[in-house]
Amino acid sequence: MSENRPLKHGFFGKLRRLLPLFGRDPLVAADQVTDRALVAVVAILTFLAALTSGSAQFAAGTAMRWQVMMASEVTVQLKPQGARSIDTDIVRVSDILRGTAGISSVKALSRDESAKLLEPWLGPASSIENLPIPRLIAVRINTDQPPDLVALGKSISEVVPGASLDDHRTWTKRLGRLSDGFLTVSFGALVLVILATGLTIVFATRGAMAGNREIIEVLHFIGADDRYIAAQFQSHFAVLGVRGGLLGGGAAILLLVALKIGAAASLIGDFSGTPSTIFLDWGIILVTFGVIILVGLIAGAASRMTVYRTIGRLS
Amino acid sequence: MQAFPHRSVGELVRFENVGLRYGVAAETLTDVSFSIEPQSFQFLTGASGTGKTTLLRLIMQALKPTRGTVVLFGQDTSLLEKDGLTALRRRMGIVFQDFRLLDHLTTYENVALPLKVQGREEVTYRAEVTELLSWVGLGDLIHAKPPVLSGGEKQRASIARALVAQPELLLADEPTGNVDPSLARRLLRLFVEMNRSGTAILIATHDLGLMDQIDGARRLVLAERRLYVEASDV
Repeated sequence: MSENRPLKHGFFGKLRRLLPLFGRDPLVAADQVTDRALVAVVAILTFLAALTSGSAQFAAGTAMRWQVMMASEVTVQLKPQGARSIDTDIVRVSDILRGTAGISSVKALSRDESAKLLEPWLGPASSIENLPIPRLIAVRINTDQPPDLVALGKSISEVVPGASLDDHRTWTKRLGRLSDGFLTVSFGALVLVILATGLTIVFATRGAMAGNREIIEVLHFIGADDRYIAAQFQSHFAVLGVRGGLLGGGAAILLLVALKIGAAASLIGDFSGTPSTIFLDWGIILVTFGVIILVGLIAGAASRMTVYRTIGRLS
Repeated sequence: MQAFPHRSVGELVRFENVGLRYGVAAETLTDVSFSIEPQSFQFLTGASGTGKTTLLRLIMQALKPTRGTVVLFGQDTSLLEKDGLTALRRRMGIVFQDFRLLDHLTTYENVALPLKVQGREEVTYRAEVTELLSWVGLGDLIHAKPPVLSGGEKQRASIARALVAQPELLLADEPTGNVDPSLARRLLRLFVEMNRSGTAILIATHDLGLMDQIDGARRLVLAERRLYVEASDV
Protein backbone atom coordinates (compact mmCIF):
# COMPACT_ATOMS: atom_id res chain seq x y z
CA MET A 1 0.00 0.00 0.00
CA SER A 2 3.03 2.16 0.07
CA GLU A 3 4.36 4.25 -2.79
CA ASN A 4 7.81 2.85 -2.45
CA ARG A 5 6.99 -0.56 -1.05
CA PRO A 6 4.44 -2.84 -2.65
CA LEU A 7 1.85 -4.78 -0.72
CA LYS A 8 3.23 -8.00 0.71
CA HIS A 9 1.12 -10.37 -1.33
CA GLY A 10 1.16 -11.76 -4.81
CA PHE A 11 4.10 -13.51 -6.38
CA PHE A 12 6.85 -11.29 -4.98
CA GLY A 13 5.28 -11.23 -1.53
CA LYS A 14 5.25 -15.03 -1.48
CA LEU A 15 8.79 -15.18 -2.88
CA ARG A 16 9.98 -12.78 -0.23
CA ARG A 17 8.42 -14.86 2.53
CA LEU A 18 10.00 -17.98 1.09
CA LEU A 19 13.41 -16.36 0.81
CA PRO A 20 13.78 -14.29 3.96
CA LEU A 21 17.54 -13.97 3.47
CA PHE A 22 17.05 -11.94 0.32
CA GLY A 23 14.58 -9.44 1.63
CA ARG A 24 14.30 -7.17 4.66
CA ASP A 25 11.19 -7.50 6.74
CA PRO A 26 9.80 -3.98 6.90
CA LEU A 27 8.97 -4.25 10.61
CA VAL A 28 12.65 -3.78 11.41
CA ALA A 29 14.00 -0.40 10.42
CA ALA A 30 17.05 -0.46 8.21
CA ASP A 31 19.37 1.95 9.93
CA GLN A 32 21.86 2.76 7.23
CA VAL A 33 24.64 3.83 9.59
CA THR A 34 24.51 1.10 12.24
CA ASP A 35 23.63 -1.62 9.74
CA ARG A 36 26.56 -0.70 7.51
CA ALA A 37 28.87 -0.44 10.50
CA LEU A 38 27.82 -3.92 11.62
CA VAL A 39 28.32 -5.32 8.11
CA ALA A 40 31.78 -3.69 7.98
CA VAL A 41 32.80 -5.09 11.38
CA VAL A 42 31.58 -8.56 10.46
CA ALA A 43 33.32 -8.37 7.06
CA ILE A 44 36.68 -7.42 8.60
CA LEU A 45 36.50 -10.08 11.30
CA THR A 46 35.39 -12.77 8.86
CA PHE A 47 38.25 -11.78 6.56
CA LEU A 48 40.73 -12.20 9.42
CA ALA A 49 39.14 -15.46 10.57
CA ALA A 50 39.21 -16.86 7.03
CA LEU A 51 42.84 -15.84 6.56
CA THR A 52 43.79 -17.38 9.91
CA SER A 53 41.96 -20.52 8.89
CA GLY A 54 43.80 -20.52 5.57
CA SER A 55 47.13 -20.05 7.35
CA ALA A 56 46.42 -22.91 9.74
CA GLN A 57 45.49 -25.21 6.88
CA PHE A 58 48.51 -24.04 4.89
CA ALA A 59 50.74 -24.89 7.85
CA ALA A 60 49.10 -28.29 8.25
CA GLY A 61 49.34 -29.09 4.54
CA THR A 62 52.94 -27.99 4.18
CA ALA A 63 54.11 -29.89 7.25
CA MET A 64 52.35 -33.00 6.01
CA ARG A 65 53.87 -32.68 2.54
CA TRP A 66 57.36 -32.22 3.98
CA GLN A 67 56.95 -35.30 6.13
CA VAL A 68 55.74 -37.35 3.17
CA MET A 69 58.63 -36.08 1.05
CA MET A 70 61.19 -36.93 3.70
CA ALA A 71 59.67 -40.33 4.34
CA SER A 72 59.76 -41.17 0.63
CA GLU A 73 63.48 -40.55 0.25
CA VAL A 74 66.56 -42.15 1.80
CA THR A 75 70.21 -41.38 1.23
CA VAL A 76 73.16 -43.72 0.94
CA GLN A 77 76.47 -42.16 1.90
CA LEU A 78 79.81 -43.65 0.81
CA LYS A 79 82.94 -42.49 2.58
CA PRO A 80 86.26 -42.87 0.74
CA GLN A 81 88.06 -45.97 2.00
CA GLY A 82 91.82 -45.83 1.30
CA ALA A 83 92.70 -47.56 -1.99
CA ARG A 84 89.14 -48.67 -2.86
CA SER A 85 87.63 -47.01 -5.90
CA ILE A 86 84.66 -45.04 -4.73
CA ASP A 87 83.18 -44.96 -8.24
CA THR A 88 83.19 -48.76 -8.36
CA ASP A 89 81.54 -48.87 -4.92
CA ILE A 90 78.87 -46.49 -6.12
CA VAL A 91 78.04 -48.71 -9.05
CA ARG A 92 77.98 -51.77 -6.80
CA VAL A 93 75.66 -50.14 -4.23
CA SER A 94 73.46 -48.72 -7.00
CA ASP A 95 73.05 -52.21 -8.45
CA ILE A 96 72.03 -53.58 -5.03
CA LEU A 97 69.51 -50.77 -4.63
CA ARG A 98 68.03 -51.21 -8.11
CA GLY A 99 67.61 -54.89 -7.41
CA THR A 100 65.69 -54.29 -4.21
CA ALA A 101 61.88 -54.37 -4.27
CA GLY A 102 60.16 -51.19 -3.10
CA ILE A 103 62.69 -48.77 -4.55
CA SER A 104 61.39 -46.61 -7.35
CA SER A 105 64.50 -44.68 -8.36
CA VAL A 106 68.22 -44.48 -7.65
CA LYS A 107 70.34 -41.44 -8.48
CA ALA A 108 74.04 -41.30 -7.69
CA LEU A 109 75.37 -37.77 -7.28
CA SER A 110 78.56 -37.03 -9.19
CA ARG A 111 81.66 -35.74 -7.41
CA ASP A 112 80.91 -32.23 -8.67
CA GLU A 113 77.34 -32.42 -7.36
CA SER A 114 78.58 -33.65 -3.98
CA ALA A 115 81.22 -30.90 -3.89
CA LYS A 116 78.55 -28.33 -4.70
CA LEU A 117 76.53 -29.46 -1.68
CA LEU A 118 79.56 -28.79 0.52
CA GLU A 119 80.31 -25.44 -1.08
CA PRO A 120 78.62 -23.34 1.65
CA TRP A 121 80.99 -24.85 4.26
CA LEU A 122 84.19 -25.62 2.36
CA GLY A 123 84.23 -23.08 -0.44
CA PRO A 124 84.31 -23.51 -4.28
CA ALA A 125 84.57 -27.03 -5.72
CA SER A 126 87.97 -26.26 -7.23
CA SER A 127 89.48 -25.63 -3.78
CA ILE A 128 88.38 -29.04 -2.40
CA GLU A 129 89.42 -31.05 -5.42
CA ASN A 130 91.94 -33.09 -3.43
CA LEU A 131 89.79 -33.69 -0.33
CA PRO A 132 88.18 -37.09 0.30
CA ILE A 133 84.59 -36.05 -0.24
CA PRO A 134 81.86 -38.53 0.68
CA ARG A 135 79.55 -39.43 -2.22
CA LEU A 136 75.78 -39.64 -2.04
CA ILE A 137 73.13 -41.79 -3.68
CA ALA A 138 69.58 -40.39 -3.55
CA VAL A 139 67.05 -43.20 -3.33
CA ARG A 140 63.30 -42.69 -3.77
CA ILE A 141 61.21 -45.42 -2.27
CA ASN A 142 57.71 -46.60 -2.91
CA THR A 143 55.89 -45.47 0.25
CA ASP A 144 53.05 -47.93 -0.41
CA GLN A 145 55.40 -50.93 -0.39
CA PRO A 146 58.62 -49.74 1.24
CA PRO A 147 61.63 -52.03 1.49
CA ASP A 148 63.06 -53.21 4.83
CA LEU A 149 65.43 -50.29 5.30
CA VAL A 150 67.28 -51.82 8.27
CA ALA A 151 68.10 -55.00 6.35
CA LEU A 152 68.96 -52.98 3.25
CA GLY A 153 71.37 -50.76 5.19
CA LYS A 154 73.00 -53.80 6.74
CA SER A 155 73.55 -55.57 3.40
CA ILE A 156 74.99 -52.41 1.81
CA SER A 157 77.47 -52.00 4.69
CA GLU A 158 78.55 -55.61 4.35
CA VAL A 159 79.17 -55.36 0.59
CA VAL A 160 80.80 -51.92 0.67
CA PRO A 161 82.63 -50.96 3.88
CA GLY A 162 82.08 -47.29 4.70
CA ALA A 163 78.64 -47.20 3.05
CA SER A 164 75.69 -46.26 5.26
CA LEU A 165 71.99 -45.73 4.70
CA ASP A 166 70.28 -42.69 6.25
CA ASP A 167 66.46 -42.98 6.36
CA HIS A 168 66.04 -39.38 7.71
CA ARG A 169 64.09 -40.77 10.66
CA THR A 170 65.65 -38.32 13.10
CA TRP A 171 64.78 -35.36 10.91
CA THR A 172 61.30 -36.66 10.17
CA LYS A 173 60.61 -36.96 13.91
CA ARG A 174 61.96 -33.49 14.58
CA LEU A 175 59.96 -32.05 11.70
CA GLY A 176 56.86 -33.86 12.96
CA ARG A 177 57.26 -32.34 16.42
CA LEU A 178 57.91 -28.92 14.91
CA SER A 179 54.90 -29.09 12.61
CA ASP A 180 52.68 -30.38 15.44
CA GLY A 181 53.68 -27.39 17.55
CA PHE A 182 53.14 -25.05 14.63
CA LEU A 183 49.72 -26.54 13.98
CA THR A 184 48.71 -26.25 17.63
CA VAL A 185 49.67 -22.57 17.65
CA SER A 186 47.88 -21.94 14.31
CA PHE A 187 44.64 -23.60 15.35
CA GLY A 188 44.84 -21.94 18.76
CA ALA A 189 45.09 -18.60 16.96
CA LEU A 190 42.13 -19.59 14.78
CA VAL A 191 40.01 -20.46 17.81
CA LEU A 192 40.92 -17.13 19.44
CA VAL A 193 40.10 -15.19 16.26
CA ILE A 194 36.73 -16.95 15.98
CA LEU A 195 36.00 -16.27 19.66
CA ALA A 196 36.96 -12.61 19.25
CA THR A 197 34.84 -12.47 16.10
CA GLY A 198 31.86 -13.94 17.93
CA LEU A 199 32.16 -11.57 20.89
CA THR A 200 32.66 -8.53 18.69
CA ILE A 201 29.63 -9.44 16.59
CA VAL A 202 27.56 -9.91 19.75
CA PHE A 203 28.48 -6.43 20.99
CA ALA A 204 28.14 -4.83 17.54
CA THR A 205 24.70 -6.40 17.13
CA ARG A 206 23.63 -5.23 20.56
CA GLY A 207 24.85 -1.75 19.68
CA ALA A 208 22.89 -1.80 16.44
CA MET A 209 19.84 -3.08 18.33
CA ALA A 210 19.91 -0.15 20.74
CA GLY A 211 18.17 2.02 18.17
CA ASN A 212 15.37 -0.52 17.85
CA ARG A 213 14.16 -0.43 21.44
CA GLU A 214 11.15 1.71 20.54
CA ILE A 215 10.12 -0.69 17.79
CA ILE A 216 10.31 -3.60 20.21
CA GLU A 217 8.19 -1.67 22.75
CA VAL A 218 5.55 -0.75 20.19
CA LEU A 219 5.32 -4.29 18.84
CA HIS A 220 5.09 -5.63 22.40
CA PHE A 221 2.26 -3.35 23.45
CA ILE A 222 0.18 -3.74 20.31
CA GLY A 223 0.01 -7.47 20.93
CA ALA A 224 2.98 -9.09 19.19
CA ASP A 225 4.23 -12.10 21.10
CA ASP A 226 7.87 -12.39 22.07
CA ARG A 227 8.67 -15.07 19.51
CA TYR A 228 7.26 -12.96 16.68
CA ILE A 229 9.32 -9.91 17.66
CA ALA A 230 12.47 -11.97 18.18
CA ALA A 231 12.02 -13.65 14.78
CA GLN A 232 11.81 -10.26 13.02
CA PHE A 233 15.09 -9.03 14.46
CA GLN A 234 16.81 -12.37 14.29
CA SER A 235 16.29 -12.70 10.55
CA HIS A 236 17.26 -9.05 9.95
CA PHE A 237 20.54 -9.30 11.84
CA ALA A 238 21.32 -12.80 10.56
CA VAL A 239 21.04 -11.39 7.03
CA LEU A 240 23.39 -8.52 7.99
CA GLY A 241 25.83 -11.02 9.50
CA VAL A 242 25.78 -13.24 6.42
CA ARG A 243 26.22 -10.18 4.17
CA GLY A 244 29.27 -9.08 6.13
CA GLY A 245 30.52 -12.66 6.22
CA LEU A 246 30.17 -13.04 2.47
CA LEU A 247 32.05 -9.78 1.90
CA GLY A 248 34.89 -10.64 4.28
CA GLY A 249 35.02 -14.33 3.41
CA GLY A 250 34.80 -13.57 -0.31
CA ALA A 251 37.65 -11.06 -0.04
CA ALA A 252 39.74 -13.63 1.86
CA ILE A 253 39.11 -16.30 -0.79
CA LEU A 254 40.01 -13.82 -3.56
CA LEU A 255 43.23 -13.00 -1.74
CA LEU A 256 44.04 -16.69 -1.34
CA VAL A 257 43.35 -17.25 -5.05
CA ALA A 258 45.68 -14.35 -5.89
CA LEU A 259 48.37 -15.81 -3.62
CA LYS A 260 47.91 -19.20 -5.25
CA ILE A 261 48.39 -17.74 -8.71
CA GLY A 262 51.37 -15.72 -7.52
CA ALA A 263 52.90 -18.72 -5.74
CA ALA A 264 53.08 -20.74 -8.96
CA ALA A 265 55.98 -18.61 -10.12
CA SER A 266 57.42 -17.55 -6.81
CA LEU A 267 60.03 -18.78 -4.34
CA ILE A 268 57.25 -20.00 -2.09
CA GLY A 269 56.17 -22.36 -4.81
CA ASP A 270 59.68 -23.62 -5.35
CA PHE A 271 60.11 -23.99 -1.62
CA SER A 272 57.12 -26.25 -1.12
CA GLY A 273 57.29 -27.98 -4.44
CA THR A 274 53.51 -28.06 -4.80
CA PRO A 275 52.33 -24.52 -5.37
CA SER A 276 48.97 -25.43 -6.89
CA THR A 277 47.65 -26.79 -3.62
CA ILE A 278 49.23 -24.50 -1.08
CA PHE A 279 46.95 -21.54 -0.70
CA LEU A 280 43.53 -22.70 -1.71
CA ASP A 281 41.77 -25.95 -1.44
CA TRP A 282 38.23 -27.08 -0.73
CA GLY A 283 38.98 -27.30 2.98
CA ILE A 284 39.73 -23.58 3.19
CA ILE A 285 36.62 -22.70 1.18
CA LEU A 286 34.45 -24.97 3.33
CA VAL A 287 35.85 -23.52 6.55
CA THR A 288 35.32 -19.99 5.20
CA PHE A 289 31.68 -20.75 4.40
CA GLY A 290 31.37 -22.32 7.83
CA VAL A 291 32.67 -19.08 9.36
CA ILE A 292 30.16 -17.06 7.28
CA ILE A 293 27.23 -19.18 8.44
CA LEU A 294 28.52 -19.09 12.02
CA VAL A 295 28.72 -15.30 11.87
CA GLY A 296 25.09 -15.10 10.67
CA LEU A 297 23.97 -17.42 13.45
CA ILE A 298 25.84 -15.40 16.07
CA ALA A 299 24.37 -12.10 14.85
CA GLY A 300 20.86 -13.59 14.77
CA ALA A 301 21.22 -15.16 18.21
CA ALA A 302 22.66 -11.94 19.69
CA SER A 303 19.70 -9.92 18.36
CA ARG A 304 17.28 -12.54 19.68
CA MET A 305 18.84 -12.36 23.14
CA THR A 306 18.68 -8.56 23.04
CA VAL A 307 14.98 -8.65 22.09
CA TYR A 308 14.15 -10.97 24.99
CA ARG A 309 16.18 -8.85 27.39
CA THR A 310 14.42 -5.68 26.20
CA ILE A 311 10.99 -7.31 26.49
CA GLY A 312 11.93 -8.62 29.94
CA ARG A 313 12.68 -5.06 31.04
CA LEU A 314 9.35 -3.83 29.61
CA SER A 315 7.48 -6.19 31.92
CA MET B 1 -17.84 2.10 11.78
CA GLN B 2 -20.01 -0.83 12.67
CA ALA B 3 -20.49 -2.03 16.23
CA PHE B 4 -17.79 -4.47 17.35
CA PRO B 5 -18.92 -8.05 17.84
CA HIS B 6 -18.18 -10.44 20.73
CA ARG B 7 -18.23 -7.97 23.58
CA SER B 8 -17.40 -8.96 27.16
CA VAL B 9 -20.36 -8.86 29.47
CA GLY B 10 -18.35 -8.63 32.73
CA GLU B 11 -15.92 -5.98 33.91
CA LEU B 12 -13.05 -5.26 31.57
CA VAL B 13 -10.76 -4.03 34.32
CA ARG B 14 -10.89 -4.44 38.08
CA PHE B 15 -8.29 -3.13 40.52
CA GLU B 16 -8.51 -4.28 44.14
CA ASN B 17 -6.38 -2.43 46.70
CA VAL B 18 -3.57 -2.05 44.24
CA GLY B 19 -0.36 -0.45 45.46
CA LEU B 20 2.80 0.32 43.53
CA ARG B 21 6.18 1.42 44.74
CA TYR B 22 9.46 1.82 42.93
CA GLY B 23 12.28 0.24 44.90
CA VAL B 24 12.16 1.17 48.58
CA ALA B 25 10.53 4.57 48.04
CA ALA B 26 7.05 5.38 49.32
CA GLU B 27 4.15 4.02 47.28
CA THR B 28 3.35 5.93 44.10
CA LEU B 29 -0.17 4.54 44.14
CA THR B 30 -1.93 3.33 47.28
CA ASP B 31 -5.04 1.19 47.67
CA VAL B 32 -6.36 1.86 44.20
CA SER B 33 -9.68 0.13 43.59
CA PHE B 34 -11.94 0.68 40.61
CA SER B 35 -13.44 -1.12 37.65
CA ILE B 36 -14.18 -0.37 34.01
CA GLU B 37 -17.38 -1.69 32.49
CA PRO B 38 -17.79 -2.65 28.84
CA GLN B 39 -18.73 0.20 26.51
CA SER B 40 -18.18 2.78 29.29
CA PHE B 41 -16.47 6.15 28.87
CA GLN B 42 -14.23 7.59 31.54
CA PHE B 43 -11.51 10.12 32.07
CA LEU B 44 -8.51 9.54 34.29
CA THR B 45 -7.38 12.87 35.62
CA GLY B 46 -5.19 14.48 38.23
CA ALA B 47 -2.34 16.94 38.48
CA SER B 48 0.92 16.21 36.72
CA GLY B 49 2.95 13.56 38.53
CA THR B 50 0.02 11.99 40.36
CA GLY B 51 0.40 8.70 38.51
CA LYS B 52 -1.98 8.80 35.53
CA THR B 53 0.53 7.23 33.15
CA THR B 54 1.59 4.79 35.87
CA LEU B 55 -2.01 3.64 36.27
CA LEU B 56 -2.36 3.18 32.51
CA ARG B 57 0.88 1.18 32.49
CA LEU B 58 -0.53 -1.05 35.22
CA ILE B 59 -3.59 -1.71 33.06
CA MET B 60 -1.54 -2.44 29.94
CA GLN B 61 0.71 -4.71 32.04
CA ALA B 62 3.86 -2.70 31.47
CA LEU B 63 4.10 -2.59 35.27
CA LYS B 64 3.20 -5.12 37.89
CA PRO B 65 1.62 -3.96 41.16
CA THR B 66 3.57 -4.26 44.37
CA ARG B 67 0.41 -5.45 46.08
CA GLY B 68 -3.27 -5.90 45.38
CA THR B 69 -5.00 -7.60 42.49
CA VAL B 70 -5.39 -6.55 38.86
CA VAL B 71 -8.07 -8.42 36.95
CA LEU B 72 -8.29 -7.89 33.18
CA PHE B 73 -11.16 -9.33 31.17
CA GLY B 74 -12.00 -11.58 34.10
CA GLN B 75 -8.48 -12.96 34.52
CA ASP B 76 -6.17 -12.36 37.47
CA THR B 77 -3.03 -11.06 35.76
CA SER B 78 -0.74 -12.35 38.52
CA LEU B 79 -1.63 -15.89 37.45
CA LEU B 80 -1.05 -15.37 33.73
CA GLU B 81 1.93 -16.52 31.68
CA LYS B 82 3.43 -14.32 28.93
CA ASP B 83 1.24 -15.74 26.18
CA GLY B 84 -1.82 -15.04 28.29
CA LEU B 85 -0.74 -11.42 28.76
CA THR B 86 -0.19 -11.05 25.02
CA ALA B 87 -3.72 -12.32 24.39
CA LEU B 88 -5.08 -9.74 26.85
CA ARG B 89 -3.10 -6.92 25.20
CA ARG B 90 -4.73 -7.81 21.89
CA ARG B 91 -8.08 -6.96 23.45
CA MET B 92 -6.82 -3.46 24.29
CA GLY B 93 -5.90 -0.52 22.11
CA ILE B 94 -3.31 1.96 23.33
CA VAL B 95 -2.84 5.56 22.24
CA PHE B 96 0.56 6.67 23.49
CA GLN B 97 1.17 10.25 24.54
CA ASP B 98 4.10 10.46 22.14
CA PHE B 99 2.29 8.51 19.37
CA ARG B 100 4.95 5.80 19.05
CA LEU B 101 4.49 5.47 15.29
CA LEU B 102 7.28 3.67 13.49
CA ASP B 103 8.99 6.22 11.26
CA HIS B 104 10.11 3.74 8.61
CA LEU B 105 6.58 2.49 7.95
CA THR B 106 3.82 4.28 6.05
CA THR B 107 0.65 5.43 7.76
CA TYR B 108 -1.12 2.41 6.31
CA GLU B 109 1.55 0.01 7.57
CA ASN B 110 1.58 1.62 11.02
CA VAL B 111 -2.17 1.34 11.37
CA ALA B 112 -2.23 -2.23 10.07
CA LEU B 113 0.53 -3.32 12.46
CA PRO B 114 -1.69 -4.85 15.21
CA LEU B 115 -3.35 -7.07 12.59
CA LYS B 116 -0.06 -7.99 10.96
CA VAL B 117 1.52 -9.10 14.24
CA GLN B 118 -1.48 -11.32 14.85
CA GLY B 119 -0.47 -13.20 11.72
CA ARG B 120 -3.30 -12.06 9.47
CA GLU B 121 -2.72 -11.94 5.72
CA GLU B 122 -2.88 -8.47 4.25
CA VAL B 123 -5.66 -9.35 1.82
CA THR B 124 -7.93 -10.00 4.78
CA TYR B 125 -7.54 -6.53 6.33
CA ARG B 126 -6.55 -4.14 3.54
CA ALA B 127 -10.08 -2.87 2.99
CA GLU B 128 -10.87 -2.32 6.66
CA VAL B 129 -7.59 -0.49 7.32
CA THR B 130 -8.20 1.77 4.35
CA GLU B 131 -11.75 2.45 5.56
CA LEU B 132 -10.52 3.21 9.06
CA LEU B 133 -7.92 5.62 7.72
CA SER B 134 -10.61 7.43 5.77
CA TRP B 135 -12.78 7.53 8.89
CA VAL B 136 -10.05 9.31 10.88
CA GLY B 137 -9.42 11.69 7.99
CA LEU B 138 -6.15 10.21 6.78
CA GLY B 139 -7.46 8.66 3.58
CA ASP B 140 -5.15 10.80 1.47
CA LEU B 141 -2.09 10.08 3.60
CA ILE B 142 -1.94 6.31 3.61
CA HIS B 143 1.39 6.34 1.77
CA ALA B 144 2.96 9.06 3.91
CA LYS B 145 5.45 8.26 6.61
CA PRO B 146 5.24 9.76 10.13
CA PRO B 147 8.09 12.27 9.74
CA VAL B 148 6.03 14.21 7.20
CA LEU B 149 2.77 14.11 9.21
CA SER B 150 1.60 16.94 11.45
CA GLY B 151 1.05 16.38 15.19
CA GLY B 152 -2.69 15.99 14.69
CA GLU B 153 -2.23 13.56 11.83
CA LYS B 154 0.15 11.48 13.88
CA GLN B 155 -2.32 11.47 16.73
CA ARG B 156 -5.12 10.29 14.45
CA ALA B 157 -2.88 7.60 12.98
CA SER B 158 -2.03 6.51 16.51
CA ILE B 159 -5.75 6.35 17.38
CA ALA B 160 -6.49 4.40 14.20
CA ARG B 161 -3.75 1.90 15.08
CA ALA B 162 -5.25 1.48 18.54
CA LEU B 163 -8.65 0.85 17.04
CA VAL B 164 -7.91 -1.32 14.04
CA ALA B 165 -8.06 -4.62 15.89
CA GLN B 166 -11.45 -3.62 17.30
CA PRO B 167 -10.38 -3.62 20.95
CA GLU B 168 -12.82 -3.90 23.80
CA LEU B 169 -10.92 -1.29 25.78
CA LEU B 170 -9.04 1.75 24.53
CA LEU B 171 -6.45 3.47 26.72
CA ALA B 172 -5.36 6.94 25.65
CA ASP B 173 -2.61 8.86 27.41
CA GLU B 174 -3.06 12.61 27.00
CA PRO B 175 -4.33 12.15 23.45
CA THR B 176 -5.01 15.87 23.02
CA GLY B 177 -1.91 17.09 24.79
CA ASN B 178 -0.06 17.96 21.60
CA VAL B 179 -2.83 19.45 19.51
CA ASP B 180 -4.75 22.72 19.33
CA PRO B 181 -8.23 23.02 20.92
CA SER B 182 -10.04 22.66 17.60
CA LEU B 183 -8.26 19.42 16.77
CA ALA B 184 -8.70 18.26 20.37
CA ARG B 185 -12.47 18.55 19.94
CA ARG B 186 -12.33 16.57 16.69
CA LEU B 187 -10.25 13.85 18.32
CA LEU B 188 -12.67 13.71 21.21
CA ARG B 189 -15.53 13.20 18.77
CA LEU B 190 -13.54 10.26 17.39
CA PHE B 191 -13.40 8.70 20.82
CA VAL B 192 -17.13 9.25 21.32
CA GLU B 193 -17.81 7.55 17.98
CA MET B 194 -15.64 4.64 19.01
CA ASN B 195 -17.45 4.38 22.30
CA ARG B 196 -20.79 4.31 20.48
CA SER B 197 -19.40 1.48 18.37
CA GLY B 198 -18.88 -0.51 21.54
CA THR B 199 -15.36 0.24 22.80
CA ALA B 200 -14.85 1.20 26.42
CA ILE B 201 -12.71 4.33 26.62
CA LEU B 202 -10.27 5.49 29.29
CA ILE B 203 -8.62 8.82 28.53
CA ALA B 204 -5.88 10.12 30.81
CA THR B 205 -5.86 13.91 30.73
CA HIS B 206 -5.39 16.93 32.93
CA ASP B 207 -7.49 19.09 30.59
CA LEU B 208 -10.66 19.98 32.50
CA GLY B 209 -12.13 21.73 29.48
CA LEU B 210 -11.85 18.52 27.47
CA MET B 211 -13.66 16.53 30.12
CA ASP B 212 -16.48 19.07 30.30
CA GLN B 213 -17.27 18.41 26.65
CA ILE B 214 -18.49 14.88 27.36
CA ASP B 215 -21.67 14.58 29.32
CA GLY B 216 -22.04 11.45 31.36
CA ALA B 217 -18.36 10.44 31.31
CA ARG B 218 -17.11 9.08 34.58
CA ARG B 219 -14.05 10.72 36.13
CA LEU B 220 -11.33 8.83 37.94
CA VAL B 221 -9.31 11.37 39.88
CA LEU B 222 -5.82 10.70 41.16
CA ALA B 223 -4.67 12.76 44.11
CA GLU B 224 -2.21 12.10 46.90
CA ARG B 225 -1.45 8.61 45.55
CA ARG B 226 -5.08 7.53 45.78
CA LEU B 227 -7.85 7.18 43.21
CA TYR B 228 -11.22 8.80 43.71
CA VAL B 229 -14.09 7.82 41.47
CA GLU B 230 -16.64 10.48 40.65
CA ALA B 231 -19.99 9.10 39.66
CA SER B 232 -21.12 9.81 36.12
CA ASP B 233 -23.92 12.27 35.50
CA VAL B 234 -26.11 9.73 33.84
